[in-house]
This record gives sequence, structure tokens and C-alpha cells, in this order.
Amino acid sequence: MIEARGLTKRYGPKTAVDGVSFTVRPGTVTGFLGPNGAGKSTTMRMIMGLDRPTAGTVTVNGRPYAEHRSPLTEVGALLDAKAVHTGRSAYNHLLAMAATHGIPTKRVDEVIEMTGLQSVAKKRVGGFSLGMGQRLGIASALLGDPKTLILDEPVNGLDPEGVLWVRNLARYLASEGRTVFLSSHLMSEVALTADHIVVIGKGRIIADAPVGDIVDGAQQRTVRVRTPHATQLAELLTSDGATVTSDEPSLLVVTGRDAAGIGELAAAQGFVLHELTPVTSTLEDAYMALTADSVEYQTESAQQHVGHGAAGATAAPAPTDSLEGAQR
Amino acid sequence: MSATTLAPGATSPTASRTSPYRLSFAHVLRSEWIKFRSLRSTWWTLGITVVVMVGFSLMFAAVVTSVSGQGGSPEDMGMGSTDGIGVMVITVGYSFAQLAVAVLGALTVTGEYSTGMIRSTLSAVPRRLPALAAKMIVVGAVTAVTTAVAVGLSYLVTYPILSGDGLTADFSSAEDQRALVGAVLYLTAVALFSVAVGVLLRSSAGAIFTLVAVFFVLSMVLGIVQGVTGADWVQTLMNSLPASAGEQVVLGGGMSSPDAIGPWQGFAVLVGWTAALTAAAAVVLKRRDA
Repeated sequence: MIEARGLTKRYGPKTAVDGVSFTVRPGTVTGFLGPNGAGKSTTMRMIMGLDRPTAGTVTVNGRPYAEHRSPLTEVGALLDAKAVHTGRSAYNHLLAMAATHGIPTKRVDEVIEMTGLQSVAKKRVGGFSLGMGQRLGIASALLGDPKTLILDEPVNGLDPEGVLWVRNLARYLASEGRTVFLSSHLMSEVALTADHIVVIGKGRIIADAPVGDIVDGAQQRTVRVRTPHATQLAELLTSDGATVTSDEPSLLVVTGRDAAGIGELAAAQGFVLHELTPVTSTLEDAYMALTADSVEYQTESAQQHVGHGAAGATAAPAPTDSLEGAQR
Repeated sequence: MSATTLAPGATSPTASRTSPYRLSFAHVLRSEWIKFRSLRSTWWTLGITVVVMVGFSLMFAAVVTSVSGQGGSPEDMGMGSTDGIGVMVITVGYSFAQLAVAVLGALTVTGEYSTGMIRSTLSAVPRRLPALAAKMIVVGAVTAVTTAVAVGLSYLVTYPILSGDGLTADFSSAEDQRALVGAVLYLTAVALFSVAVGVLLRSSAGAIFTLVAVFFVLSMVLGIVQGVTGADWVQTLMNSLPASAGEQVVLGGGMSSPDAIGPWQGFAVLVGWTAALTAAAAVVLKRRDA
């Protein structure tokens, strides 16, 4: 259980985390979703007592992290895959971490096996790939067999097999009754792994709800219509209560009417249709819409994309079940 | 790499039990020892410390016997008498060995900051100060043992060279004993001073630059200025700086200017600096974001 109340972090004039409150419950995987620079990592560092909050409090299993008698058995964290001395072997790193709590060597061997690091455990961490570094970070988090796991971007740098492994591991740990708090900037990843999602943007909580609600609520269904009678059809649809946008002459993107409705309307007027395609926006588009106003580092094209809302997705009709596409 | 292993181990208890594992100072000390011994840089700097101390002893012993063999007197070497030459030969390497020891002390901390390891360390020991204390105990103890061994080796390897001229160290004099113990104490204090500087500066380059300036360049430059001008204020300054005051516990009488601070008072100045920097390091470590 993680409880944040009015958690705030300022660096000089810049507010990284702004009065954030949320609860992460045991037995579920809670996704912490937000664009880069939204305040995810800062929040996680404050939970771990590494950064001191400017205001507010955060407790883990009822107490501030630093006040636990054996912190590693309460919380295991992967905050940064690179939080390891590059000159030390993975085995010695884990051995030293374990020693702080009197955790036996047997457990070190266990977590090495669990994370598939056997073949590289005696090698120095400096030569590790990002994926191996992530596995070592996860091994380190599991050392104390903790009740709560905090994983900051755990799938970064992992191959598809590794991504699947992390997803299953997170679900398994939650099924054992543990609290799992996992951050990502990929909506699709979180949607597949988490039961509950907390969305953060520009240091504020934008949404905090079960994953289904977020996905449904944020998703837009549109219909793409290509017709020589674009102007007339657009007027007709608009007067009928639908929302119509247009990226190019003869192409309409319609929200608020399904394909059948639009087809019948056009037929009644004798309009020729060259295309009539229902489009479901991807999760990524839903997420972009959700965080549109709170992206820290916005590019020109992203602004245009967001400006057109879900219409940006029309370039390639993308049904919701193409989630894997986001793991490219 | 296989991703098939899923379960966190058959022995993994459910999340509701109380864990038998406990954070304790003895455990943290053991952890810091594991960290210390599992880095190559540790063994490099310790090896260099021993090689430098023994090497300079051998060189100095050769020079001493050569001057002595040509019928030279202690005055030819800038010394009042042959008393204490034996001990000086054994300890002469300290002023170079202190750089290796300083690098060792600083890297123990700055190596963690530059790699991000510090976040793992402070996650495991969130109260932070036990980690600093454990680091200092490990660095201090290993430095003391290593320099003591180096001094002992220096005695052994130079004995055959010096014995012909009757110049070997005579451990019965209080001065000799002080210089011998002083070399070990001085280098240990330098190592601890460097750990504190490492915490304060966090960067390896910054810390090593500062330590070389404080322990090598500054005392050398001031020594030259003092020798040329003989100004009182320079001596006063030297008597209050960590290196030039602290090293009096090794040098004492013979090589020192008559106005230099006493050996133990000088060492107390170094200890005072080390204590002050350690206190500052503790405050900063506790307050700062990792």
C-alpha cells in the first residue's frame, strides 16, 4: 500500500510534482502513466525517501519508507537500471545489497536465476546491455521478497520476450497479494499490465481509475468518409449534431455518427461515397488526447497531431486490438 | 537469456508474513566491506600505496648509504644528526602514498555518485548516516592495516642496506615510535578526510583535484614560500592546514622548521579538519536529494 497526500516537489522555480495524492492498493498492478518529464520518476524517488518532498507526505505500508526497520523487505524498487556501480559484478552488487539486511547468499542466487542472469552474474555491470541492466535492477528489487514493488519504466530496453516476462512477473506478484506500482510512458503497455491507472501530466494527477474506464473513456470512435459532395455532406452532418473535421478536400472525419447512419444519410440525398471507414483511435491516441495539455517537451508535429485530436490516427485505420504495435 | 522463469522462487513466502531480514549496522558494515573489496580500483590504489612506500624507502636508503659511504655527514643531507634517519627512510614514502590513499577514500563515495550506485545504497539504508559511518570504518581500517604493512615491509627491505652503516631504525626512542605510528595515523586520517570530501563534492574529478591541491600542491608551495621568505604568516598558515600541520606527526623535529607546530598538535589539527568535514558531509548527505 502506497499513500501519497499532497506530494509536492519543486526544484527552484520549477514544480516537478504538484500536490499529488493517490493510493496504490495491494493485490493489484497499478500503472503510473505519463509523458517524459511529467513527474513519475520524481514521485517514485520521493516514495523511496531519495528525494525530500517540498510539501506533503507519502507512506509505504503505513510509514514513511525510511522509518521501516527493514526497508528492503517492505519495498523493492527499480528506480533506475543504472543505479549500479559499473565496476562491480552483478553477483557482488546483489551480495552487497543483500548484506545490508542480512539476506542470505541463497536468496541472491535465487533472484539471479529468477531474472535469467546466471550467465552474466560474474561479469562487470559496465558491459551490460540496457536489457540486462533492467533485469539486474529487477533482481535487486526482488531481493528482500518485498510486500511492495516500485518499478520505474521496467520494460525500457527489453526485447519482446523480456517485456512479456516483466508483464507476467508484475501480474504474478500482484496475485500473491503484493502491491505493484509500475510506471511507463506507453499507454498500451500499462493497459496490458495494470488493473488500475494513475495518469500524471506536468506534475498533476490527470486521471486515477480502473484501466477499463480510462481506456473506454478516452477512446474516440470516428468514421472516415470520402465523397465528392464533402461540403454538402459536412453541413448535413453538422446540422444533425455530429462533429466533422477535414484534413483535405473530399475527405471528412466524422465523430458522433456511426458508419451506417452516415451511409443512410448520404443515400437519402443521393451523395456518392468513395469511402466509408469506421476508425477506432489507438490507445496511444487516447493517451495523447488525455495528456495533450500536459506534455513537457512538445514537438511541432506532436502539436499538430494533438490539434487534430483523434483525426491524426486516420492515416492508418488502427483497431484497438493492435496493441502490440506500440512495442515496436 | 531465458524469460521463462516466472515465479519468485519456491521459498517465497506470501506478502503478509513478517520477514526475518533486518537492517542493522553490522549488516551495513558487511555490505560496505563487500562493496569495497569487489572493485578493482580498491586493489589498484592499495597496491600503489604499498609499492610507493616501499619503493621510496629503498631509494632513500640507497641515497643515505651512498652519502654515508662517501664519508658524508648527516649535515650533507640537511639533517642535524643521524638520529631518526632509519625511521625517516621507512616513512619517507608517505607524502606520495597519501595521494593513492586520498584517491581510494574519495572514490569510495564519488564512484557511487558517478555510477548512480548511491541510489541503491541509500534505498537500502534510507537513514543514510550508517552507510557513511560504515564506509569510513572500512576505509579507515583497511588504510591503517595497509600502511602498517607497507611500513613494516619498508623496514624489512631497507634493513640489509642500512645495517652496514648502523643507520637502521631504532624503535627504542620515543621520537622514532611516534614517527612510525604517525605515518600510519596520518595516512588513515587522510583517507577519512578524503571520504568526507568525496561526499561533499560528489564528483571524482573534483574531489581528486581538491585533495591533490590540499595534500600535495598547497603544502609544497607554502613550504617553498616559507623557505624563501621565512615570513611568519606563512608558518602560521602552515600550522593550521591539514597537510602541513598533520604531517608533523611523521616528520617531527629533524626535518621541520623550528617554528612548526608540534607533532601531536599538528596531527590534532588534521583530525580537527577531518572531523569538521565529516560533520559537514553527514549534514549534506542527510539533507540532499540522492
